Amino acid sequence: MPLLAQHEKEGEESKNPAIGDPKAIDAGGKLFAGGCAACHGADGQGGRGPNLRMRVFWHAVDPPTIFKAVQKGVGAGMPASNLPEDQAWQVVAFVVSMTSPAIETTVNGDVENGRAVFSGKGGCTGCHSINNQGGKMGPDLSNIASVKPALAIRDAILDPDGDGADGYHAVSVTLRNGKSLKGVARNRSNYSLQLQDRQGNLHLINMADVAEMTLGKGSPMPKDYGSKLSTKEVDDLVAYLAKQSLRPFVPSKK
Amino acid sequence: MNRISIIIFAALATVCPGQVTFEDIKKSPNADWLTVAGDYQGKRHSPLTQINTANVANMVPKWVYHVPRASGLRTNPIVYDGVMYITNTNEIRALDAASGRLIWAYKDTRAKKEAVNRGAAVYGDRVYFVTADVYLVALDRRTGSVLWQHKYGNIEEGAFASAAPFVVRDKIMVGVAGGDTGMRGYIAALSSSTGEELWRTYTVPAKGEKGSESWGKYVEYGGAGTWLSGTYDPDTNTLYWTTGNPWPDFFGGDRGGDNLYSCSLLAIDADTGKMKWYFQFTPHDVHDWDAQAWPVLLDLPIDGKPRKLVVHANRNGFFYILDRTTGEFIKAEKLVDKLDWATGVDAKGRPIEVPGKDPTPSGNLVCPGVRGATNWMSPSFNPATGLLYVVTLEQCDIFTSSSKTPEPKKSFSGGGAGTKPKDLGQFILRALDPKTGKRVWEYPFTGPAESWSGTVSTAGGVVFVGDDDGQLVGIDAKNGKHLWHFNVGEGMLASPITYSVNGKQFVAIASSTAVFSFGLHEPMKAVPMPKITVQ
Repeated sequence: MPLLAQHEKEGEESKNPAIGDPKAIDAGGKLFAGGCAACHGADGQGGRGPNLRMRVFWHAVDPPTIFKAVQKGVGAGMPASNLPEDQAWQVVAFVVSMTSPAIETTVNGDVENGRAVFSGKGGCTGCHSINNQGGKMGPDLSNIASVKPALAIRDAILDPDGDGADGYHAVSVTLRNGKSLKGVARNRSNYSLQLQDRQGNLHLINMADVAEMTLGKGSPMPKDYGSKLSTKEVDDLVAYLAKQSLRPFVPSKK
Repeated sequence: MNRISIIIFAALATVCPGQVTFEDIKKSPNADWLTVAGDYQGKRHSPLTQINTANVANMVPKWVYHVPRASGLRTNPIVYDGVMYITNTNEIRALDAASGRLIWAYKDTRAKKEAVNRGAAVYGDRVYFVTADVYLVALDRRTGSVLWQHKYGNIEEGAFASAAPFVVRDKIMVGVAGGDTGMRGYIAALSSSTGEELWRTYTVPAKGEKGSESWGKYVEYGGAGTWLSGTYDPDTNTLYWTTGNPWPDFFGGDRGGDNLYSCSLLAIDADTGKMKWYFQFTPHDVHDWDAQAWPVLLDLPIDGKPRKLVVHANRNGFFYILDRTTGEFIKAEKLVDKLDWATGVDAKGRPIEVPGKDPTPSGNLVCPGVRGATNWMSPSFNPATGLLYVVTLEQCDIFTSSSKTPEPKKSFSGGGAGTKPKDLGQFILRALDPKTGKRVWEYPFTGPAESWSGTVSTAGGVVFVGDDDGQLVGIDAKNGKHLWHFNVGEGMLASPITYSVNGKQFVAIASSTAVFSFGLHEPMKAVPMPKITVQ
């Protein structure tokens, strides 16, 4: 369940003032580009070094651990940065910002234009709801900024199944009684299928009743937003989605 | 949603199948189990008979769902149309009730508090639950999409939320916990469509209001939490809601008086929130004996005359029978043998207290113990046997009081209570005649005396209960004889339910970390592999 697995804990442990501070993040971003990006990728997407945005890291690594890695390196593969402590914390702040829920970070883009792309050119409302407005087949995005980092939201737009399509795999079945159903598999096994159709209706199916099943490549989400939307439109869409949180974000007092 | 579909949806809204209506909830339970107690009256009695005394010996587990990261689940599952809704701290999950497979899950990752959660509610096309930091959340029950959430209390004021929401017509009734740290309890009715608060009834009067004279200091922090859902009489549109202990729990020196309306049963008009009557079981409680146990609404003859009753097994050790129209006390009976703080109750139902049973700085042994003679474990009532099934605890505790100056919202409870070594106590399932409170049979549990599971009654004549040793047990409703058991491997803190999908009856219970569902054994039929095409 992609929406859930991501941000289970409120981690308030040992926060350095740099964490969440836009200036520090900006400075850390520059340091990252100069020193870390060669191995970890410009957006932390990985390369010779590990992907820093992968979900497995989102809570497994806390800021003090990242700080230690930045300052002292990791094993034989990652060299020590030898950065002064404040700059090392700026790098940590940047890495954390890449993996923090979008609502907690600053995301550049035109929110209002993003809203227009969402319901217009992007056609997102055909499948996605925000605050009960929109389609029912795709994941509800009312709270997406509370559970996904902005970079992960961007990834999900440009490469919808890059993270797998768990809970939303396109599926169509013909039952042994001749009836056909089409939608997404909220879950499935060899023995049962929990199919949700475009209207949001649930069909709880015993696989013994299924004669034929067709599985799509991942989710039904279009895979061509990278070419269909301009870079600015994607930025704006991300900026709009990065505001969709059921609860406002109140930065902790520094 | 475009304009045309909105119009179509609106036109269909009242007749659309798949919409849970007030009438549906009134008819529950049947194949569905639509409230925490199954029905409005708190009877927890299912008309299903497929599993019965003759065949329950053939009951086997059908599926187990391990709730990720769960510990101490309190959820009473809700089942509608083949989907089961379960809750945990700040989260809700929809399961395929026939297979146990997860359909969707929602967790509020930004909730500002963690607490147990006792279950969900369904109405229309929505499912509702509460977050620990006191929001009512409404979701599309098919997709798990969040429709809205509404804050109805403040953790800053000491309140938090754990009870299952309770649907009455188009209102969602909610309560608050937190009475152990100093807060002001209330029951509120929220709009089922927007969450807007329609009325709020405080369980502790404001300074100067009638009843406030029953407090000394601290009336504004009096407690009387409402952490368990209530029951409801549709004929009179009356809610029956129980209230928790006064604060500070174990030190009553600064709150001289009866401390209304703590440790009470309130009868409340569901439209207006107006209190019709109250009955206080434990005036000026100093033993943390919340009245939180289910008030069960029964129509039974008393002394040959048909009466509309509300019966209640209370933590203070007595079983009460009241007239639910007037609140008139009819009678009380000892629920447990280990009861030494009162010799009985007077003609009005007020306890006749034994002097010297308050907590003391050095500790005072009092029976029942702090967990009470019963607690949130659900009772059930079988109309065929005429018996009420109640899990009871025979135990005493050493109660201590603190001379520290009470501080609200600082986890201060004015003392404490602890078990006397070698006196862990014993849980006993008792079948009572609800007309008299007399015991008809009992089924003692072995175990560590840590049970918190209640009962469900079935027309098949079997009572299911989680025992004190990690076993779900099926017992003959007539005579208390063992019929079936299954070791779920850990304690149970919630009560079982029963439901049916595609004509197959299931019995389900949440254990500490998982949900188990059982049904009659059937030889497994081979599942032929369909023709699968991957695009």
